[in-house]
Amino acid sequence: MKRAGQAVAVLAAVAVGIAAAAGVLHARDERHPLPVSEDRLMYLRSGRTADRVFLSFDAIASDVYWIRTIQHYGRDLGSTRTTGRFELLNPLLDLTTTLDPHFNIAYRFGAIFLAERPPKGPGRADQAIALLEKGLASNPTRWQYLHDIGFVHYWFTNDYERAAAAFERAATMPGAPEWLRPVAAMTRAQGGDRAGARRLLTELLSADQDYVRHTAERGLQQLQALDAIDQLQAIVERYHDATGSYPRAWRDLISVRLLRGLPIDPTKTAFVYDATTHRVTISETSSLFPLPRFLQPRTR
Amino acid sequence: MSSVVRIDRLTKDFPVGFWRPRPHRGLDGLSLEIPAGGVFGLLGPNGAGKSTTLKLLMDLLRPTSGHAEILGRPVGDAHARQRLGFLPEHPTFYDHLSAEELLVYFAGLFGYTGADRRARAARALDRVGLRSDDRQRPIRQYSKGMVQRVGLAQALVNDPELIVLDEPMSGLDPIGRREVREIILELRDEGRTVLFSSHILSDAELLCSAVGILNRGRLVASGRLSDLTAGEAHGWEVVMTMTDASLADRVSPRVMRTRRIDEGRYSFELGAAARPEPFIAELSAAGATLVSVSPIRTTLEDVFVKALGQGDAA
Amino acid sequence: MSLRRIALVARHVFKESVRDRVLYAIGAFALVLVAASILIAQISAGQDVKIIKDLGLATIELAGIVMSVFVGIGLVAREIDRRSIFALLSKPLPRWEFVVGKYAGLVLTIFVNVVAMTAALYLMLGYLHWSASPAVRLSWDAPAMDVRLLIAVALIFAELALLTAVALLFSTFSSSALLSLVFTLGLFVAGTFSEDLRHFGDIMDVSPIVGHLVGAIGWIVPAFSAFDVKAQVVHALPIGTAFVADTLVYAVVYIAAVLLAAVFLFSRREFR
Repeated sequence: MKRAGQAVAVLAAVAVGIAAAAGVLHARDERHPLPVSEDRLMYLRSGRTADRVFLSFDAIASDVYWIRTIQHYGRDLGSTRTTGRFELLNPLLDLTTTLDPHFNIAYRFGAIFLAERPPKGPGRADQAIALLEKGLASNPTRWQYLHDIGFVHYWFTNDYERAAAAFERAATMPGAPEWLRPVAAMTRAQGGDRAGARRLLTELLSADQDYVRHTAERGLQQLQALDAIDQLQAIVERYHDATGSYPRAWRDLISVRLLRGLPIDPTKTAFVYDATTHRVTISETSSLFPLPRFLQPRTR
Repeated sequence: MSSVVRIDRLTKDFPVGFWRPRPHRGLDGLSLEIPAGGVFGLLGPNGAGKSTTLKLLMDLLRPTSGHAEILGRPVGDAHARQRLGFLPEHPTFYDHLSAEELLVYFAGLFGYTGADRRARAARALDRVGLRSDDRQRPIRQYSKGMVQRVGLAQALVNDPELIVLDEPMSGLDPIGRREVREIILELRDEGRTVLFSSHILSDAELLCSAVGILNRGRLVASGRLSDLTAGEAHGWEVVMTMTDASLADRVSPRVMRTRRIDEGRYSFELGAAARPEPFIAELSAAGATLVSVSPIRTTLEDVFVKALGQGDAA
Repeated sequence: MSLRRIALVARHVFKESVRDRVLYAIGAFALVLVAASILIAQISAGQDVKIIKDLGLATIELAGIVMSVFVGIGLVAREIDRRSIFALLSKPLPRWEFVVGKYAGLVLTIFVNVVAMTAALYLMLGYLHWSASPAVRLSWDAPAMDVRLLIAVALIFAELALLTAVALLFSTFSSSALLSLVFTLGLFVAGTFSEDLRHFGDIMDVSPIVGHLVGAIGWIVPAFSAFDVKAQVVHALPIGTAFVADTLVYAVVYIAAVLLAAVFLFSRREFR
């Protein structure tokens, strides 16, 4: 039919036209892309203002801002500029999460982006934690945010006290997994707070899950080992104070009756004394190896 | 004599309904020829298909099947439109323009330029009797009658051979209608052909040389007006005045109908067989005075009603 | 084909827009906004040139968009609605000339408005330049009355020409002005985010099919965001002539395709 034939021809011509146009655009962006404007003046910085401006289109606006966040992070990651790197990350994330307070990945990934140390990120752990706390305010039962706060403290601020506190709080939330509590405990140990760690682990000895009990037992044994190492180190120093030189092996200490026998850890593996560094360590063959970091706590 | 319009089995279906459109047949196999010169009336009740036919001729609608030619060219041909004038039903024009601007614009579309263009516009507006001070005002401010005049003018600006008018009298007062009638007769006298549609029979009766009657999309009657209403007179109407009322009563039984028009004036309807002359003579002798004698012929209305009745039955 | 007839239709459209008070409202609004930016500049501590340029260009674009969409849609739909088209189409004016003439008329209207607003913007920038000390002028990324602003305006105009074509397309075949408006605005939003749509599959975690589908949509819709060089111009970043030329070619080709579709659809259109 002539009419149908005409219609097909026109449709084909229009399709070819659009395809040709798209081709021109693609070629343009390949051959001479527009230089990206490095100056960043965000007109809208306040989340509250944005909320009002976007009326009921908050959700879409927050999606757009999230996309912009990722683009900003990606662009600055690959950029060679030295000043103002990632400077818009926090405002963008603030806008995203104010427009949609339940935007889960914005909180979690956003916090990681913010906490990353330069050059991979702005190194703003404080902003990361503020973001997560903001998320917690709108979503009080999300243990993941507390876990992430603990994570940021653990890896970026090295404030083990606060990290452990966050993990502990997370562990108390409904639906929180059981492994949070041993993690809290070990974090305390990491921070040198053996007493606190011991307390937590002792509680966990009566937990339901086998693996939690085993972890708690092991943790307690590690703490015992740490205490033992402290005491052994003190004995080594007394020997040095008394004789003016460091012992060469455990034998020396046993021979002057500072030790009664070969010192062993709770798994019955002997501790190791290094004659050159004069330091006592756990044996690498011990099942308790490696001990939590910072096994040099209060001695000089 | 050539035909200005040739319609051959023209059919138009309109889809009705959204989900499963069923066609409504607006025009069903219309075949018609309209000769050049003279006035042709396309008549019929509302919804009969008159506007549909005219729109099909003007390429505003496309036929489902069938074929039509206008001024010897197929419908839609640009050359034909050069020699054509069209007035749509209930016309509206660009409110912001004045009549003069509109006519000049349209004249330009026909290819006229410069002073010639303006002169033609002015002539067309003169013809329809639009006053000069009105011509400068925007059409927004016009009365219905003025808009109709503008409509007629824009149909005439190119001196067309064929003028197509869709319900040209609608909305006009009696004076306006008479003026339009006069213009149509003038156009006929100039040798142009006028095709118009109407559901008002009295206008058609006064203007048309030929008519076509549509009903429900079908042509139910067509031909020269004189042919359609031909036939012997089937009676006479005699109007007489008499002072003596009893005279009327006495002759009343012999006539088909007696009607008292007013004080002393009576109308008598005689059958076709009877001759009026003896009747008149008799009454005159008795003292009555003759007012008028006229044959009772088939009117267009009779033809119309009869054709519709037949159409319905078909 | 008669250029004269097309020109007649175009001139008629232009005349109609000039007498249409709505257009003046849009224009007035735009001028007020542009003037208001001077006020804003006073309280923005040194960023005034940039802000005025940003706001000025954005206003020109926004006013142009409103014009393109609303008047473009009304253009044909109104004629059909009010039956003024019947008398027009009975003249020896081919339907395609009608469509092209309408388009040309509207583009002309928009051009005149854009020129007027750009002149106003330059006036304001001129005032700013004159009232600033040489030291302040040195601190600007680009001169106040930067000629390169015209590049941004030219591309905005190309964008508006494309948008007008789209509005006209919907206006020729849709019987409802509201529907035309919805479609045109929808396509405009899609076109503004066309770049994001193209990279959708990379950013979002969706199946490859969905990613490709959305990406394809990103290539097909008219890329209204591709005409945006405002940031570059304001910060005096280089814009190659090849870039501008390619963008204009894109606009011309796409507009031609849209007009072809509009002409085709309008030729088939019947009028009850």
